[in-house]
Amino acid sequence: MVNEPVAGSGSHGFSELLNLSMPASIQSIAAITGAIAEILMSLEIPESKRFEIDLAVQEALANAVVHGCNGDASKTIRCRLNKDQQGHIVITVTDPGPGFKPETLADPQQPENLYGDHGRGVYLIRQLMDEVQFDRGGAEIKMWKY
Amino acid sequence: MDINVRKRSQAQLIQLRGPLRMGPAVDSLRQTLEEALGNGDTRIVINLAEVPMIDSSGIGLLVRFLASTKQRGGSIKLVQPSKFAVQTLRLVGVLNLFEIFDNDDAAAESFS
Repeated sequence: MVNEPVAGSGSHGFSELLNLSMPASIQSIAAITGAIAEILMSLEIPESKRFEIDLAVQEALANAVVHGCNGDASKTIRCRLNKDQQGHIVITVTDPGPGFKPETLADPQQPENLYGDHGRGVYLIRQLMDEVQFDRGGAEIKMWKY
Repeated sequence: MDINVRKRSQAQLIQLRGPLRMGPAVDSLRQTLEEALGNGDTRIVINLAEVPMIDSSGIGLLVRFLASTKQRGGSIKLVQPSKFAVQTLRLVGVLNLFEIFDNDDAAAESFS
């Protein structure tokens, strides 16, 4: 795991607080979410928001590992955490996969999907975070918490 | 995740400790639930008092086995989910699928 945060303000007044690369494995996800939890506590982010960010990041990383990398630990995913001058948190998760079309995801709240055992990750991220954006054809997700 | 299983009244009580998320935690609970169903135990109580968070994989597991137990005349009932777990279940629209109790005894006896 390599942490390469860039100190000081980046473009648009953002401070990069975390820049982690990790092997695409389930086991690595807890390490990243743990590092993010420590940063959020140091920023005195309220507990309820910390929980919401933690779960959203968990979901994003899980998608990156499982769907972006097919669980191939020889591949690398990246997670960055930035904070702007207003204190808004933005977390970016990037995988090397081919991406996907978020608009094609089924609605997990539809009756036929309610008892499904998967397909809730992106939906949950959208509920937990204030803004969600997909780039690089879906291989990168950017999540804001205000 | 720590998992403790014991009989309580007519139900199997599964006590969990730790986050219920993709990986060993969900895998362990899946195995536990599969064993219970394999033994014919379809009345299951899951105590979530020490489970701080449930991710979408954990939710998927719970609803999948809720459906399986109901098909066999049983159910999965939840005890003391945390405030955030309740919020998460509600956000994905599955909270109302479950019966939720304040304690193990009440949940187990509700199967009578």
